[in-house]
This record gives sequence, C-alpha cells and structure tokens, in this order.
Amino acid sequence: MQVKRTLPKQLYFGLMVMAIMLASTLTPMLAASFGAADISFSQVYQMILAQLRGDTGHFGVTERIVMELRMPRIVLAFAAGAGLAVAGAVLQTVTRNPLADPYLFGISSGASLGAVVVITLQGQSELAAQLSWLSLPLGAFIGAVLSVLLVMAFCGGRLSIQVERMLLSGVAISFMFGAMTSLLLYFSGPQAAASVLFWSLGSFAKATWADVGLPVLTVVGATLIILLFKRQVMAMKAGDETAHTLGIAVGRLRVGMLLLCSLITAVLVANCGGIGFVGLMVPHIVRMLMPGRFALLTIALVGGLFMIWVDVIARSLLSYQELPIGIITAVIGSGFFLFILASKR
Amino acid sequence: MPAQDCQHHSDNALNVTDLHWHAGERTILKGVNLQLAAGKMLGIIGPNGAGKSSLLRCLYRYLTPSQGQICLFGKDISHYPLKAFAREVAVVLQDTPQHFDMTTEQLVMLGLTPHKSALSLTSQADHFAVAQALEKVGLSHLAKQAYEYLSGGEKQRALIARAIVQQPKLLILDEPTNHLDIRYQIQILELLHSLGITVVISIHDLNLASAMCDQLLLLNQGQGIAQGMPSQVLTEQLIGDVFEVCCAVAPHPQHQRPQITYYYGYQASETHAGGNDAS
Repeated sequence: MQVKRTLPKQLYFGLMVMAIMLASTLTPMLAASFGAADISFSQVYQMILAQLRGDTGHFGVTERIVMELRMPRIVLAFAAGAGLAVAGAVLQTVTRNPLADPYLFGISSGASLGAVVVITLQGQSELAAQLSWLSLPLGAFIGAVLSVLLVMAFCGGRLSIQVERMLLSGVAISFMFGAMTSLLLYFSGPQAAASVLFWSLGSFAKATWADVGLPVLTVVGATLIILLFKRQVMAMKAGDETAHTLGIAVGRLRVGMLLLCSLITAVLVANCGGIGFVGLMVPHIVRMLMPGRFALLTIALVGGLFMIWVDVIARSLLSYQELPIGIITAVIGSGFFLFILASKR
Repeated sequence: MPAQDCQHHSDNALNVTDLHWHAGERTILKGVNLQLAAGKMLGIIGPNGAGKSSLLRCLYRYLTPSQGQICLFGKDISHYPLKAFAREVAVVLQDTPQHFDMTTEQLVMLGLTPHKSALSLTSQADHFAVAQALEKVGLSHLAKQAYEYLSGGEKQRALIARAIVQQPKLLILDEPTNHLDIRYQIQILELLHSLGITVVISIHDLNLASAMCDQLLLLNQGQGIAQGMPSQVLTEQLIGDVFEVCCAVAPHPQHQRPQITYYYGYQASETHAGGNDAS
C-alpha cells in the first residue's frame, strides 16, 4: 500500500519539475512576442537562435524592439518575481509566520516614503530634478534600509530577538511610514501624486539593459547565499529552541536572513516600484504543489515566470495603455491561490 | 563560589556544580548539584514549577546560568562552540510548532545539521544514517508520511530518531512520556535505554521513573533535594514532603525497585508534619 501511495507522488513531483522546466524555456520567447508591435513567436524564435549564433542585425526594427525593449523588461520581471518569492519564502520560514513577506517588515512603506520624498523635492529644487534618474531608486533604497534599521533598533539590538517583537515592530513602522507618505502626498500637487501612485503600483516599463544588472546581481547573489544556509533555515521550522539545540545561532541567522531579504526587496522596489502579493503567495502555491520541501530554486523559478506573464498581461490587456503590475499580481495571484485552496480541501 | 576546573570531574559524563538561574527577580534554580556517570539514565523528578525544565535548558545551553558550572565529559559546556556542542548533546523537546510541513524522513534529516558545513550535500551515508535511525525507532514504514499526521508516540519516536542521527554523547529529553499511553511510555524509555548513551530526562510518573532510570534527581523549589538510585530518592518521607501526598512505598515484584501506592483523601500534613508551603 505504501508503494502504491509513494509512486504516483514521485511521478507527480517529476511531472511538476518537467512542467516548470518547459515553462522556463518557452516563457521568455512567448512573452517577447506580446506587445504593441505585432511580432510572431516564430520570428522571436528565429531571432534568438540567430543571436545565439552571434548573428545579429538581420531583423531591423523588430530585432531592436525585441532585444532592446522587451528582453530587458522580461529579465527585470523575472528577477523581480524570483527575488520577491525567495524573500517571502525565507521570511515565512525563519519567522514561522505564514503571513510574513518583505512588506510586513515595513520595507515597502520605507521605500515608498523615500520615493515620495524624492518626487516632492523634485518639484522644488533644480538640482534634484537634474538628478532624478538617480534619486528615485536611491531614495527608495534609503527609505527601505531606514525602515529595516528601525525594526532592528526596536528589537533592542539583541541578537536573541523574539520573532513576535520583530513582526510587531515591522507592522508599526510600516503604518508610521505609510502615514508620513500619505501626509506628503496630501500636500503635494496632483502631478506628483499621480507619478507616485503609478510607481507604487509597480511597473517594468522603464527597464533597459543598463539598469537590469543591479537587480539581477542582487537577486542571484542573495539567493546563492541563502542556499548556503538552506539546512539552517529549514531547521528553523522546528522552532527556535530546537534549532538552537541543532547548533544554530537562531537570532543571528534570523537577522541575517532579514537583512538579505531586505536588500533584495529594497533593490527591486527601487527599480520596479511596489509589487505586493508575489512574496506572500508564490511560496504558498509552491508549497501546496510540493509539500514539505524548502524548494528555493523552484520558488524562484515559479515567481519569476509568474511575473513575466503578469507583465505580458500588463502591456497587452488594454491596447491604449499599460496597467500597473501590482494590480494584476493581486488579482491573478489571489484568484489562483483561492482556486488551489478550494481544490485541495 | 569560584568555578572549579572541569578536569576534576572528567570521569563523569555530566557534572553540575552549584547551579543558579534567575528569571528576572525570581530565582528559579538555587544551587543545584548533580553527577552522572557515562551511559546512565538520569530522571529529573519534582512537582510543577520545581525547575526541571529550567535545569534542562541550562544543560543544553538555551539558558545561561547566573552562577555555577556545568561540565560535560570534563569540559565546561560554555567553552564549546554552538555547533560543536550540538554534536555532543541532542535534545528532544515536547512540542513542535504548528504548520510543520515536513515528512518524518525530513524531520529526522534535521539531525544532520550540526555535522554539515554550508557547502556539503546530503550524502549516501547520510541517507543511510537516517534510514538506520528510523529503523531503530521502528518508523521505517512511515518515512514518507507527513510528520503532522503521526500519532503522539510515533512523533516522539521520530524526534528520538532525529536525535540519534545527531550522534550525541548526551541525550536530553523534556518529558518524553507526556501525553503517551502506558505502552508507548514504556516503549520510549526502553528505546532510550537500548541506545547505550548518557540520557537525562524530566519525568512526572514516579513509578515509571523508578522502574526505568538508573539515577533520580528530586527537585523542589529550585533545589536538589536528593540524588541517587531510585531506592534512595523515592522514600515515603521525601515524596510526602515534596509532593504533599500520602503514599506507601514497597518493592516492585519484578525488579525490586520502589513502587509507590498513593492514598486518596489525605492531606500530606496529616501524615508528615514538615510539608512545604504550596507554591
């Protein structure tokens, strides 16, 4: 009976891995064929083959659209989805809180405040306006780091931090920064308010090869470091005290993981705005499909692929304008999540 | 009291000297001493709030004593790096958190944690060690099952398998027989005996402690009242004083160790004048 039960499980797992692999290879090419200009999948396929051979420049404008507009966008979307999903999975595990995601620790509200301060200042100072290409992401990054530092300060600076204290101070700081952002927006002009709104809902529209590098490097680097601590992170599931008896410096590991996740989130929020929901839901979805594992790479892949398709919908659903990413992630993600929840009952 | 050199006690597996621990203003442990020879099983007994769990937590370094010294095989435990300590001492606690979505095998695999460096993968030998530990506790058939859905006794045995994989010299268990029926209680304790390593457990059932432990330490209000063989610790006088119950102690027909029969409807003060104040 045991054999009967375990065999389909392994088959199921194998099929799941194959499905994800197939989706990973097809998704970028499929996604690149969507958009305002009419480009077919086979054209993209030919073009990528030609690129791989080092044979460029045969496709004219089409090639420029695919390689310079759509591909950086796809890469940034993948990095954002993968990074947020990894950060969510790690935080949920080390805090043993299924609702934990980078946003619960005030990172996104800190980043938003930073961005709003920059946008508000731009209306008033010549210098800031000239540096705007730099200062919006930078402001967001500083805000995010500030919120994390505050969370740490309120935890008393001790490394043996209780997880409840950490979560509560994160929520409080999130609300405090949210209120400050609202106040600034309330007193700012409609122009600034609109640009902050669009930014805070997330977008990959401004992606270029030049600014994709930092998010990709951050996500890849942080994920690799987290993978080195996979055993320890996994052991945190058994509770702080048990993890301690397994030789893990519980407080230090948790703080280290929080900092890594904050770094990922801050860089991503600074580059693509606030994209909620992915960090919270993708780990749960993967866990429901593959229970009992800490499948970090699968979570990263699923998060990345999910985000690429969200971006495809964002730029092709309405013919006359782009939709903000955050709205679509929330609608699709919650719908899919509720569907899995209902079918698993 | 100055900390003595642990070398003096190197013939013992465990040596605790004048252990104090404070929780804020309250003193929970007040000068506990204990000695335990290698390969023996020590049962820590005492009423609720006597400091049993606090003492265990000091032993596995989750709490730092405010005074006193704990020596493990002739070495002060505070001198061990955390990971090296986890290779010497394994701990089985009472409960795991909710939403614990691991299979039995994955849980047992956690025991490898202190033996693995960041870059090392799980080897064939590791899988073998896990399979062996599961076999030892009789759970091989449940390896792929979700830990959450195991029965109380199976969960406890899975946790012990995890501790076996940790290859400790000392195994500490906090009330391992709690919530188990009598068959599992005996099974768990016999399993611990069969491991042949030094074991420290806290335990509530005095008859079970008497039957299964080599040594007993009786705690009351943070102080060690008595330590020794069950026949030295489990006397009518001491049980009456510490637990405030009335009882008769007679040798067990099978193993001759003390067997306690409790009387109902009596206050301890009616039989023993020197009862402690209720806390």
